[in-house]
Amino acid sequence: MKIAVPRMGSLPLIIRDLANRFGLEYIETPSFSERTVEIGAALAPEFACFPLKAVLGSFVQVLEAGADTLVMGGGHGPCRFGSYGEVQKRILEREGYSFKMLILDSPSTSLKDFHEGLRSILPRQHVRLPVLLRELLRVLSKVVVFDEVEKWALALRGLEAEPGAVDSALEDSREIIGRAFSSKEIKEARREAQSRFDGVPLDRERAHLKVGLVGEIFIVLEPYFNFDIESWLGKRGAVVERSVSISDTVYPGGRNPVFGYNDRIVARAAAPYLSHEVGGDGLRTVGATTIYARRGFDVVVHLLPFTCMPEVIAKGVLARMSSELDIPVLSLSIDEQTGRAGVQTRLEALLDLAWNRRRKGRTAGTAAAGEEGGWKVEDKTFRAAQ
Amino acid sequence: MRVGIPRALLYHHYGERWLAFLDALGVEAVVSECTTDEIITTGAFRADNETCLPVKVFSGHLLWLMDRVDAVLVPRVVSQEHGTCSCPKFMGLPDLARSLDPDLPPVLAPRMDLGDRRYLWAREWYGVARSLNGSRVSSAAAVAGLLRGLSGHRAREDAGLPVGDMKIGVAGHLYNVHDHRVSLGLLDRIRSMGATPITVDEVPSRQIHKHAKTLSHRIFWGFERRLVGAVLHWSRTADVSGIIFVTSFACGPGSIVGALLEDQLYREGSVPLMTITLDEHSAEAGLVTRLEAFIDMLRHTARVSRRINALQDAGNGGGP
Repeated sequence: MKIAVPRMGSLPLIIRDLANRFGLEYIETPSFSERTVEIGAALAPEFACFPLKAVLGSFVQVLEAGADTLVMGGGHGPCRFGSYGEVQKRILEREGYSFKMLILDSPSTSLKDFHEGLRSILPRQHVRLPVLLRELLRVLSKVVVFDEVEKWALALRGLEAEPGAVDSALEDSREIIGRAFSSKEIKEARREAQSRFDGVPLDRERAHLKVGLVGEIFIVLEPYFNFDIESWLGKRGAVVERSVSISDTVYPGGRNPVFGYNDRIVARAAAPYLSHEVGGDGLRTVGATTIYARRGFDVVVHLLPFTCMPEVIAKGVLARMSSELDIPVLSLSIDEQTGRAGVQTRLEALLDLAWNRRRKGRTAGTAAAGEEGGWKVEDKTFRAAQ
Repeated sequence: MRVGIPRALLYHHYGERWLAFLDALGVEAVVSECTTDEIITTGAFRADNETCLPVKVFSGHLLWLMDRVDAVLVPRVVSQEHGTCSCPKFMGLPDLARSLDPDLPPVLAPRMDLGDRRYLWAREWYGVARSLNGSRVSSAAAVAGLLRGLSGHRAREDAGLPVGDMKIGVAGHLYNVHDHRVSLGLLDRIRSMGATPITVDEVPSRQIHKHAKTLSHRIFWGFERRLVGAVLHWSRTADVSGIIFVTSFACGPGSIVGALLEDQLYREGSVPLMTITLDEHSAEAGLVTRLEAFIDMLRHTARVSRRINALQDAGNGGGP
């Protein structure tokens, strides 16, 4: 049995770790390319949102590479993601591929189904639930660390004294963390990664912009689709914070350890503008924008796949927030037609606007991340104001 | 005090109940006029460009009401049935409405969550009733009347309409199908071509649930679940000669449900299915041509199968 899982941001690293733990045989899904998108767009329903198409394309590629079991997330709406698995399965079957599709719901929906689903793909069928949970918790803590180093990299890239120093620290850290296995080793790896980031030479005096990155998780996390917006912004001296990460999505209880604001705070921040859950990352987009605006960020960039239902609502609401909170918000909707130059031109214009506002004193500019606490991206001002 | 209700989206499901609610409070209710070209154009121009056609139409209606009323009623419909949820657009609709124009009158947005326990959301309606200057007693009575009305079954009657030689199932959102301008008069056109259109709300709930359950995937949007159940019912019982699936541009659930239906009906070998996508500049000629072709094809198929049956009967009768 050869398993394949769609890719998104650092998900391949996590899958590799899971495969090592349970002795899974898996095929790494090829990284996204023009070909992937072409295949996906040709097969998928016309108005389906972009992640469905992209993941479908990569499923075709990985099935051709020899995978026979596809694993996909499930859900109970209202976001279309909950139906992805079923639609993709039907399309691939129609195209004549033979495979098994496992649609895994979140363990909080039904622990039993989750356990049974996982057991059906594990080579050792006898894995007991407690053992499985222990291992999964370890993976979870590892995911958090993976996301934390990304957060540090986002905060420091705009301040690095040598170009590429942050990226190499990030690469090293990922490798260090990838090797960790037990919870003790994971903690150790996090410390090592910290010291690796401590060693990055910083230019603390440099004028920089503070940019919030919000939006739909797939587009925000996958560099191929957002045209590597994180490094692009970093190179232009922007300190970036983003609202979504894999660990926040899978972490139980809505604690959001990486984003730093739990679901309740986010919902409360969003309430004046959007007072109900709308599925997907919609509410979080609105809440995070409010939080970033109150913390004095210069601009917010909102990324969404074309016709994404929750994010389109957020987009409509952001237009009003932008004027009421006096913060420029750029919504970029991405699909298979989007061109790199178009996105970058608009981002350049946005950064120019932000510098202009800074010169005219409309935004004070916030303290650079890490000025107080080393590389740490801790900012309690918002919570204190609550 | 004049309270406006946009004649769009779920007005086509619950409009009468909402009007009765306002009526019980003694508030003058203003329903926006039937969709016109101007309403669609204003809506498409002012609403966010990525939203679906029905939300653009809704925005047009809302802007039409803007100068004519003191408040608008845009209930937040979170679910329409037990165990389902609505499209996210309905959950965020009041917030989208408030963001549309800063000069908009206050938006009253009581929650309506038919899948949940009544007392959890009925108090929001009570709050709205009180804010509309209803006394305690009349507010409570209005809310009770609303709840009673919502749990009752609503039967649609199309009495007095001509009955055609064949039935055609029109599977689409009520706010698209029953809006004469948005659907470009789809139902009337089908009638004028000599066929009888049947919409999703005319199919009994029992049949809908029975067939929706058989699908391998649980559809979690309330109305789409009904729609799929109705289409499967039509197709499996051969109650209709053909099915027209009506969706609107950028409809999120529609894209998924359309793909599922196409595949399921293909596997089961069903009656013919045609998909029509509506948008704000749909041209009538295109719709009419497709409809005529579809109905001609259905008639042709019926004729051919009748002839084959007749030949077979003749063959059987002439044999030893």
